[in-house]
Amino acid sequence: MKKFLKVASIVLVIAMLACFASCGGNGDEKEKLIMATNAAFPPYEYKEGDKIVGIDAEIAEAIAKELGMELEIIDTEFGSIVGGVQSGKYDIGMAGMTVTEDRLKSVNFSTSYAKGVQSVIVLEDSKYTSYEDFYTGYDKDGNPNGVIDDLKIGVQQDTTGDIYASDKPEKWGFGEDSVIRYKTGADAVQALIAGKVDCVIIDNEPAKSFVEANEGLKILKTSYVEEDYAIAIAKEDTELLEKINAALEKLTDDGTIPGIIEKYIPAK
Amino acid sequence: MNGNVLIKVNDLKKHYNGGTVKALDGLNCEIKKGEVVVIIGPSGCGKSTFLRSLNLLELPTSGEIIFDGVKITDPKTDINLHRQKMGMVFQQFNLFNNLSISDNITLAPIKVLKMNKADAQKKAEELLERIGLPDKAGAYPQQLSGGQKQRIAIVRALAMSPDVMLFDEPTSALDPEMVGEVLDVMKELAAEGMTMVVVTHEMGFAREVASRVIFMDEGIIQEEGTPEEIFGNPKCERLKSFLSKIL
Amino acid sequence: MDKLIDNLIIEFNQFVDKFKFVFIEDDRWKWLVEGLGNTLKITAVSLIIGIIIGVLVAAVRSSFDKNRETMKMHGGLGYYALAMLNALCKVYLTIIRGTPVVVQLLIIYFIILRSVSDGNVVAMVCFGINSGAYVAEIFRSGIMSIDEGQFEAGRSLGFNYFQTMRYIIVPQAFKTVLPTLCNEFIVLIKETSIAGYVGIMDLTKAGDLMRGRTYEAFMPLIAVALIYLVIVMILTWAVGKLERRLRKNER
Repeated sequence: MKKFLKVASIVLVIAMLACFASCGGNGDEKEKLIMATNAAFPPYEYKEGDKIVGIDAEIAEAIAKELGMELEIIDTEFGSIVGGVQSGKYDIGMAGMTVTEDRLKSVNFSTSYAKGVQSVIVLEDSKYTSYEDFYTGYDKDGNPNGVIDDLKIGVQQDTTGDIYASDKPEKWGFGEDSVIRYKTGADAVQALIAGKVDCVIIDNEPAKSFVEANEGLKILKTSYVEEDYAIAIAKEDTELLEKINAALEKLTDDGTIPGIIEKYIPAK
Repeated sequence: MNGNVLIKVNDLKKHYNGGTVKALDGLNCEIKKGEVVVIIGPSGCGKSTFLRSLNLLELPTSGEIIFDGVKITDPKTDINLHRQKMGMVFQQFNLFNNLSISDNITLAPIKVLKMNKADAQKKAEELLERIGLPDKAGAYPQQLSGGQKQRIAIVRALAMSPDVMLFDEPTSALDPEMVGEVLDVMKELAAEGMTMVVVTHEMGFAREVASRVIFMDEGIIQEEGTPEEIFGNPKCERLKSFLSKIL
Repeated sequence: MDKLIDNLIIEFNQFVDKFKFVFIEDDRWKWLVEGLGNTLKITAVSLIIGIIIGVLVAAVRSSFDKNRETMKMHGGLGYYALAMLNALCKVYLTIIRGTPVVVQLLIIYFIILRSVSDGNVVAMVCFGINSGAYVAEIFRSGIMSIDEGQFEAGRSLGFNYFQTMRYIIVPQAFKTVLPTLCNEFIVLIKETSIAGYVGIMDLTKAGDLMRGRTYEAFMPLIAVALIYLVIVMILTWAVGKLERRLRKNER
């Protein structure tokens, strides 16, 4: 039972209409493109010294170059990104962010530039083999109707994993009470190692990094959710949306974006 | 004679700052039952330190104090038992601010002597009656004048039925018009035969009530005798000079 | 004029919609209730732990300060035991007051109590230990602020050290420190707002979560702030009343 979420197609139509001749900085001063992220989500964004690097940072850099703008990255809490973009504090939000209905109420999303998978990390000797082990049974529609006692799932607060896992079992979540929300994914993994949670649900890429960095962890074969990452842009700023979609299309076609992703996540 | 000795002090020394300041410098003295000993001397002469050493509020550096046949300077002695029998009155009254007058007087008899509450209260009422403040039982220390506070501090000590009363400059912190009422209580006490050791500047009181006057300076007793001898016929120069300054 | 009223109605309706979205939809208000419950639970238990630790540490510290001379004269094991305890208390005070409480929380959660999976328990222990240090120093300063004469008067009547403390010094010290103590508890309530760092659903975290899910900053933050404010105001009022009652005794 997998949960596929693809919402990005809505914005694709707009992308087709994009025109990118009109943009670009004319003067000496390049216009700034302010990007909000949460630099604790390797390999999409993380800190190397003072610098924020990662897939999102590099793609944003490429987009800015394409638009003739100067990129400025601001590191903030994941939960503050959408609000900040909505209010115009940031131009774009890029943080391995999935398109969800709730988020679409507040902001627009670009076309998807990468695929995200929510994985389940457990201790190597864990008795769980799939997230489905957490459910006690299913109703007549085939949806779960309960979770096991004392289930504790660690997540990074406000991430996709948190949002899905916090949902009711009938909607393939595990219920509010089962979810423990940490500020960072690393904290959640620490808690898993300390035995405070049964598993950590987090994006597959950081999950791989965490498993690599810490002994005694493994990723369950069955992933929890698969989804697409996109860039958040304020609803009013349709011009920017169009420009970014055009840039994304170009950068995908010329191999720039696949190259960046390949650099951080070498295909095995 | 020896059976009458209540307090015996042998070679009492109190040094501060590693011996550079010698508040008491080898003091010897005997206080007999029923005596009213008044200690006088210039300020800084060690008279307060001496008095406070008698119930070990001040710990002597060396020497011994024998109270009622017990060497209380011995570390093994339970000083709390002996303090019960040595009433003390302070310059600053030190009534317990958190307790009513009645509780101030009855607290120690009830908690230390395990007297029952009714008896302790009856005794407190009698004592308050005696000093003319029966209506103050329910009051708190802050509501009283200095003279009233000091009289109550005296009966608080008396409620323990002590063998000796130690007074540490009991009238020094009082307004002049209140000195009399406190001295009157003390005189009455002396007349009843209470053993008293009084550090004071009230020479009139010393003359009138003391059975013996001790003149201290530089941490030792310089001269002692009856009031007539001390005030009428001082022998040592220090005493003469002291008296000439205050009389 | 009509236009103004129309605008106001529109504004108001928007406000109501937003309010519904933030608090009512998906029963998000329940987070606030749960968070408030946890905040109060954590604060109450830490307060008790803090007072117990505070009293013990203050007792050791002030006993040592007041009895050092006597005990040294008597010598023996008692003096060294107390001196050791006193040194231990000093180390405790230095560490707790010298490090941020967030760091303490993380250390206790991930290292010291790593086998305890109930976050609330960890928070109670952490904030209890933390507040104990501050309470200890408040109590100690209260004890030291009472005039030495009160102490001497007690001892001169034959009370031993502990009786003097119990009947005379501590009741007076308590009254002196009550406002400071109240302040410490107010600080404690607000300090628990970092419990979210270790995944505990406290009041602040509840607001955080609402913010993260609704992308609305204003309403969740103001709601959380108001709840804290009300708790603190109630507490301040209650302590003020207690203080007045204690003071009445002396008049």
